[in-house]
Formats: sequence, structure tokens, C-alpha cells
Amino acid sequence: MRIWAQGLGVGLLAAGMVWAQEAPGPEVRQCSICHGKREFKKVQPDGSVRPLFVDERELKASVHARWHCLDCHADIKTIPHPERLEKVNCQRCHFPGNPVGAPEEVNYEGYVESVHGRLQRAGNPKAPRCQDCHGAHGVRKASDPNSLVYKRQIPATCGKCHPQVLEVYQRSVHGTTLLVRGNNDAPSCSDCHGEHQILPRKEQASEVSATQIPETCGHCHGSLEFNQKYDIPVNPVKTFKHSFHGIANELGSMRVANCASCHTAHAVLPPSDPESSVHPANIPKTCGKEGCHPGANVNYARGRFHIDPSRRDAGVVYWVALFFKYLTVSTLAALILHILLDLRSKLQKRAQGHE
Amino acid sequence: MNEEQSRSLQDAIAEQLSQAHGFTAAEAQELAARFAPRLKKRFASWVRRELYLERRRLARARAAEQTAAAEDEGEQFERLSLNVRLQHGLMAISVIVLIVTGIPLKFHESLWAKEVISLLGGPDVTPIIHRVAATLLAFVGVWHLLYIAFTKEGRENFRLLLPRLQDAKDAIQQIKFYLGLTDQRPKFDRFSYVEKFDYWAVYWGMVIMIGSGTILWFTEWFLQFVPKWVTDIAKEAHSDEALLATLAIVIWHFYNVHFNPHSFPMNKTFITGKISARKMREEHPLEYERIMKERAQRGGEA
Repeated sequence: MRIWAQGLGVGLLAAGMVWAQEAPGPEVRQCSICHGKREFKKVQPDGSVRPLFVDERELKASVHARWHCLDCHADIKTIPHPERLEKVNCQRCHFPGNPVGAPEEVNYEGYVESVHGRLQRAGNPKAPRCQDCHGAHGVRKASDPNSLVYKRQIPATCGKCHPQVLEVYQRSVHGTTLLVRGNNDAPSCSDCHGEHQILPRKEQASEVSATQIPETCGHCHGSLEFNQKYDIPVNPVKTFKHSFHGIANELGSMRVANCASCHTAHAVLPPSDPESSVHPANIPKTCGKEGCHPGANVNYARGRFHIDPSRRDAGVVYWVALFFKYLTVSTLAALILHILLDLRSKLQKRAQGHE
Repeated sequence: MNEEQSRSLQDAIAEQLSQAHGFTAAEAQELAARFAPRLKKRFASWVRRELYLERRRLARARAAEQTAAAEDEGEQFERLSLNVRLQHGLMAISVIVLIVTGIPLKFHESLWAKEVISLLGGPDVTPIIHRVAATLLAFVGVWHLLYIAFTKEGRENFRLLLPRLQDAKDAIQQIKFYLGLTDQRPKFDRFSYVEKFDYWAVYWGMVIMIGSGTILWFTEWFLQFVPKWVTDIAKEAHSDEALLATLAIVIWHFYNVHFNPHSFPMNKTFITGKISARKMREEHPLEYERIMKERAQRGGEA
């Protein structure tokens, strides 16, 4: 088998290279002599099996249908090719001003700076490159429902490397709404973490850092209309920002609770769900987290959360706010009137005194 | 300056130039024509400045005369004892610190609030400053309660501060006077209704602020016993009463004590504790009469 392949390879090398320049068919056929076979695979030194079959139909259905094997696998100069090939570099085509018309608005800088890019530069073989998320041969537009980076496919794509997170996310209200009910209002991974520029949450610039989280959640939960559409009676971001937690967060305190501290990052569920971290029964545990309010009891759940004192549904706080509003306005009106009368009287008297 | 005067000024300069500096008549005339307008401007501004300084000298002299006259107007009475002045001073310091570290939280969205907080050491430091000042304020509160309970002076002052029907009558009389419905100003004793209002407003403020502030400071302890909504009320009340108290102090108290035309820019009584006989007669006639009567009696006895 091996000898056969080598002989054939040597014999057809020159011809193959020439054909590659001219017409697609023969070259693809050259590669598919081996890679077109479904059973073509390689046993790795560690015993695992790596399939080497490439489905030509997959490539034909992708955005790269008009390109050929060697356009991307550019380091193949001979057949059979060396065992270790360089990873495909998408920047060969996707750079600003490229002559082949490949989309240029690729956020390489974001990727390079991202946690994935940093690991990749550090030489971590598991760090994802473009093709790990966008697909190798089956690259499709993000708007294509079959694309690996289509909104509803993203969780599965990220879950290839982050299976535990995927499992938790799938059970959350965001996960079920997006994946089960197919409602694209719900966020997939990249809506919160960013697409290329994914940064660790400890870094302030990260979309999911303690200080950025209210903004990030606010992309959706920042308007009352959106919240009411999903039976959330208040604007949770606005009310959070006016709470002590929110004010301290806004002023840059890193110790204080942000959205994810109470609602969790991936297991977000409505308070009516017994599994939810903000279900009344779970509130003591959630508030009582280490570093927050150890020893929290059921009293923490007695009362409303996300209070907007200007709204009637704030309950007793609404009435307290209303009382102080009228007290302040009426008191100050009376006092200022008294001041003006006194001022007029004293100025008149002084004017008369000087005459 | 009219045309003729202007002419003569130019001629005078020309003459001076040709005689003292050896210019020819034509040169002197040309230079003088250039100098004259500038000189005129300088002269006018010099006159204006001298007039302004002269007027200011006169006004100062007159003011000094008046103050001297006022100070001559009798002895200085003690209005605020050292004890009261210390209470007031500590309270003023703590309240100012509380306002500076607290009000920015109410206006946390505005840029100035963020600037103030970061200037004072950031969101992890200002709460500590706020609590130190709060402790001081609570301390002054306890001090005052002890003062009105256990000192003769305190009990006497407190008795005179109790609201009476006369205060309402005084207030109506004062408003009538302001509106020109009567020539008779109300006659106040040691504490006018305005001063009594200030005093009792502080009680209200202290109860609300120290009460709610304690709940907010020791939230975790309180939540062992009370439901969360109690702390929500405390937060709302603390925030709202803070604004009311700040505005009342800055607008009402500062006007009545310092910024009104009788005392502007500052009434020094809170430092010296003294008030002149003239002011006593004007602002606290009943107290003045009482003191005079007591003195006469004591004089008679002696």
C-alpha cells in the first residue's frame, strides 16, 4: 500500500502541481485518491485513531467551494506529502486588500489578544485556531443555520472544548430558550463573551469582568420592554445600578456582587425555578457565599429584589420614597419662601436705614 | 476732553519736546500728534482708578465707623457656652464629612460624584471615612442628651427650646410683618421659632439618619432578626433624608445664621459664643429684658 502510494506520488507529482494551477478537477482527484476514502485513517502513537477522510461535498457546500486543497494546504509540494503538515493559515487570503475577494473584516487583533490567541502563541496545542471554531472544510457564513458559528450552533462549537460549561448552559433559561425553543433573543456564548476578543473575566476589559457585566447583561436586559416581554417586571440592570451593590460596582469596587454573583454565569434561571440560584429557597445559600454574607438566612429572601423606588411595585419602599419626596418638596418650598420674605424685609430696612 | 483741550495738550507736548529734548518744531508736532491720544487714554484710566480707590477708602471708613459704633453698643452677652460650641463644632465637622462622602453615592451616575469618591480614596475608603464621621455624630448626639439631662445649663436651654403655642403666634406675626400687614415684629425670647425649628429638625434628622445608618452599617447582624425589606426601607430613608438634611442646612440654616444681610458673610457667634447687646435687643428682646430685670433685682438685693 505504502509503496504503491509512494510510487504513484512520485510519478504524478510534477503533473499534479501543474494541474493544480489550471483546472480543479484533477488536483482534487489526486488528493481524493486517499482522502476521499471514508476508511482512510491513521493510528496515532497513543493508539487513538484519526480519521483522514475529507468529504468533498462538505467543501463544495462551504463558502470556499471554489478553492482547492492546495490553496489552503499550501505546504504540500509532493505526494505523498510529509506526515506533519503545517496548520492552515487563513490569513493567506483574509487580509485587508487581498486580491481574491476574501472577506477582510476579520478580527485577527481581537483573536491574538484574546485568551485563545494568547494560549496559541504560548504554544498550547489545544488552543483553538480559526478553523477550530469556523470549521475546516465546511466553513459557512455565520448567518447560515448549518454554520458552526451560527448563533444556535455556537454552544455546541464552544462545548467541544468547554463541555462542562455547555452542560450547565444547556439547562439555563438562556440555553433552553435558544437551543430548545429556538428563540434567537436568548444569548449564545459569544453574545456575552465576545466573538474573537474573548478575555479572561479577571481582566477589566473583558465583557464578563465584574465591572463590565452590568453593561453586557444590559445589551438585552437594559430595556424595560425587553424584560416585560419575558415576564421580568423591572429593568434589572437599572435597578442594580441604583443598589448599593451597583453603586459600589460602578465606582470600581471589585469585592461587590455583580449580576453573575447572584444569578450565576451560565446556570441563569428565573426565580420561580427551584433550581435557580435566586429562587427564594436558595437565596440564603446564594447571599451566604464566602466573601459575601456568610451566615445568610431566610430573612435575606423576605422582601423584593431589584427595587425601583419610583414604581408602585416596589412595595413599601415606594411609599417611603413618596413620603420623603413630598416632605422634602413641601419643607423646602416653605423654607425658601420664608427666606425670600426675610431677605426682602431686611434689604428694605437696610435701604431705608441708609437714606 | 473737547477739541480745544485736545489741541492744547498736543501743543504742550510739542513745546516740551522741542524745548527740553531738542526736536525741531515739525518733528515735535508730529510726535506730539502721536502721543496725545495715548496720553489721553492713560489719563482717563488713571482718573477712574483713583476715583474707585477713593470711593472704597470712604466706604471702608464708614463701615469701620459703623462696626465700632455697633460694638460700642453695649456689652457682649454669652449666647453659646463652650460646651454647646464644642457640640456644635463636632456636629458640623461630622455632618460635613458625612455629606461629602455620602451625597456622591446618591448622584453616583454623574461625573463629579465619581471624581469626589476617587479623590477621597475610592469606593473602599469613603465608607470607612463615612462611618468614622457617623460615629462622631452619634457621639455628639449622646453627649447632647447627657447635656440636657444632667447639666443645669442644658436643662434650662432645653426648657426654652420646647415648642409652645407662642411660637406659632410668633411665626404668624412674623409673616404678617414680612407682608406689611403689621408694623409689630414678634418679640423673641432666647430661641425664636426659627431656631427652635432648626433644633427639632436635627432631632428628626438624627433619629432617621442614625437609625437607618446603623441598619445599613450592620446589615448582616440586623438581617438575623429582621426581613430584608426593613433594610430596603433603611436604604431609601437614609438616602432621601440625607438630601433633605443637606438642603435644609445649606439653604435654610446657612441663610438664617450667616448669609442674611444682618450677618453676611459670617456670624461669629458659633466660634466666640458672644452676642452684642444691640443684637440681643433686636433679636431676643424678651431674653434681654429678663436679664436686665434679674440684674436690677440682684442690684436691689445687694
